[in-house]
Amino acid sequence: MENDRLNDVLYNVAESVLERLAFIFSVPAENRDEIPVDSTDASCVSFSGPFNGSVVLAVAGNALSEIAENMLGLPEGEGLSLDQQHDALKELVNVICGNLLPEIAGKQAVFNFDMPQMTTEKTPSCNENNETKKSLAKLDLERGRCDVILFANDYIHQYLSSLPAESE
Amino acid sequence: MSINVLVVDDSSVMRTMIIKTIQMSGLPVGRILQASNGREGLEQLNQNWIDLVIADINMPVMNGEDMIDQMREKTETKDIPILVISTEGSKTRIERLKNKVKGFIRKPFTPEIIRDTIIEILGVNDHGE
Repeated sequence: MENDRLNDVLYNVAESVLERLAFIFSVPAENRDEIPVDSTDASCVSFSGPFNGSVVLAVAGNALSEIAENMLGLPEGEGLSLDQQHDALKELVNVICGNLLPEIAGKQAVFNFDMPQMTTEKTPSCNENNETKKSLAKLDLERGRCDVILFANDYIHQYLSSLPAESE
Repeated sequence: MSINVLVVDDSSVMRTMIIKTIQMSGLPVGRILQASNGREGLEQLNQNWIDLVIADINMPVMNGEDMIDQMREKTETKDIPILVISTEGSKTRIERLKNKVKGFIRKPFTPEIIRDTIIEILGVNDHGE
């Protein structure tokens, strides 16, 4: 039950930020396979506070260029550099994380964020402390797919019972 | 009257989004300068006449709050209005920031919020008056 609530929150935040920051409408795709983070473009940001963890945003298909072009208001196939596309992905995960944590822990909670980064083989999730995967949102976009993954330590559980029972 | 704006954000994509929003707002904008962290922002402020600073908080090298504190210590920059655009969601931190700046907008933002907040801060309108 608590996991369902957390998933609802993650889906709501991810869809809302994609729509408002990148002007992309996404569709939940719970039944498809998870995007393998170690073989695709993924950005991540780690945080510390009432609970510690990280948020990972992995993209597949043409989602990377779709996100970057939409954020910059450019037409499809504009030929953005990989750096620009990665910068867009890092900003997106940063905003998702910044909007997600107050939804879970409340607006009084104070979290510190590290700089968002692209994942590497050594840091597949910015998750150096091996926090466990607590929630996953799988979304299909117009030109690709994206997964948003929340890793956190077990201190997160104290907040889950107070999450809204249904997505708003 | 045209306003010179300094946009300080470590994300080049976010700087571009903010600059496009300002340019399309109809506000009487003069020069728009950029910096990718607080230290670069202070350097730009030393070299240019700036009417409004739009700054992120979480940045490498020097974060936005340290930049704001240093601006407030210098006679030349202490009165420049600052608008913070950040992902910060903690009410505690936002309240502390609001005591130091003229406006706070949380990411993601809408173009209307940026335009309306700048109008409120500077007392200009989209007719340049």
